[in-house]
Amino acid sequence: MTPHDEARLIAAARKGDSRAYAALVDAHQQAARGFLRRFCGNWSDADDLAQDAFVTAWRKLDRFEGRSSFRSWVSGIGFRIARDARRSEKRANARDSDWLAQQEAEIESEAPLEDRIALARAMADLPEEQRAAVALCLGEGFSHTEAAAILKLPLGTVKSHVTRGREKLLRALETNDG
Amino acid sequence: MDSEARLLRALAASQPPARDPRFALAVIEAAAADRFRWDMSRAVLKGAGLAAALAALALPFAGWAGSNAEGLQTGLLGAGGLVAIVAVARLLAARTRALLPH
Repeated sequence: MTPHDEARLIAAARKGDSRAYAALVDAHQQAARGFLRRFCGNWSDADDLAQDAFVTAWRKLDRFEGRSSFRSWVSGIGFRIARDARRSEKRANARDSDWLAQQEAEIESEAPLEDRIALARAMADLPEEQRAAVALCLGEGFSHTEAAAILKLPLGTVKSHVTRGREKLLRALETNDG
Repeated sequence: MDSEARLLRALAASQPPARDPRFALAVIEAAAADRFRWDMSRAVLKGAGLAAALAALALPFAGWAGSNAEGLQTGLLGAGGLVAIVAVARLLAARTRALLPH
C-alpha cells in the first residue's frame, strides 16, 4: 500500500467508512499481531490485544497526526494495551515462557526446536521495554527510530535495549549448548 | 553455525501470522459494539442529567405555583392564547400560499 493510498483510507475511515478501515486493518494486521505475539508470548491473547488496538485506533483516529506511519501508531497503541493488561494480570514470566515454549514447538521450521524454545524462554525473561524493543527491531524489522516512537523512549535507550537484549538472547543460545 | 546466525534463524522461525480476513471483520464488529456502548452510555448520562435538572427545577416551581395560583392561571391563559394566534397565522399563511399562482 502506498502512503497516498493509506492517507486516503485514513481520511475515509475518519468519516466512518468501515470498508476503508477494514482495508487498513488488513494491510497492517500482520505487523501488529506479529509484534504482540513476540511481546506477550501467548498468541491468542496477542490477537485479542491486537484487535483491541485496532478498535482503539479507530476511535482515536482523529488524533493521528501522520508523524509516524499508521503501522507504527497502531503498534504503539497495542504495546500500551498489552503492557497495561500484563500489569493488571501480574502474570508470571515463568508461565509465559512455558506458553512460548509450547507454541514454538508447534511451528514447523528449519531452525532447531531447542534453539527456538531457548530463544522463547530468554525473550520472556527480558525486561518489558527491552523485550518490546527486541521484538520490534529484531523480530518485525522496525527501525530504531520507529521503535523509539512506538515505545515513546529516547532513540539511545532503544538502541541500548536492542543491543543488550540481543546479547542476552545470544548468551541463552550458547548456554543451551552446554 | 555461529550464535548470531542461529539467533537470526530462530527469530525468523516465528514469522508473523498469515493475513486473516476474519481478523479485519472481527475488528469492525468489535468497533461497532464499542461505538454502541459509547453511544448508549452517553445517552444514559444525558438522560440522567436532564432528569436531574428537571427535578431540581420542579421543586421550586411547585412551591411558587402553590403561592401564586392566580399568576399561574394568567400565565397559562396567555401562553395558550399565544399558541392559538401562531396556529391561526400559520394556517392562513398556508392557505394563502395554496391560492397564489406558482
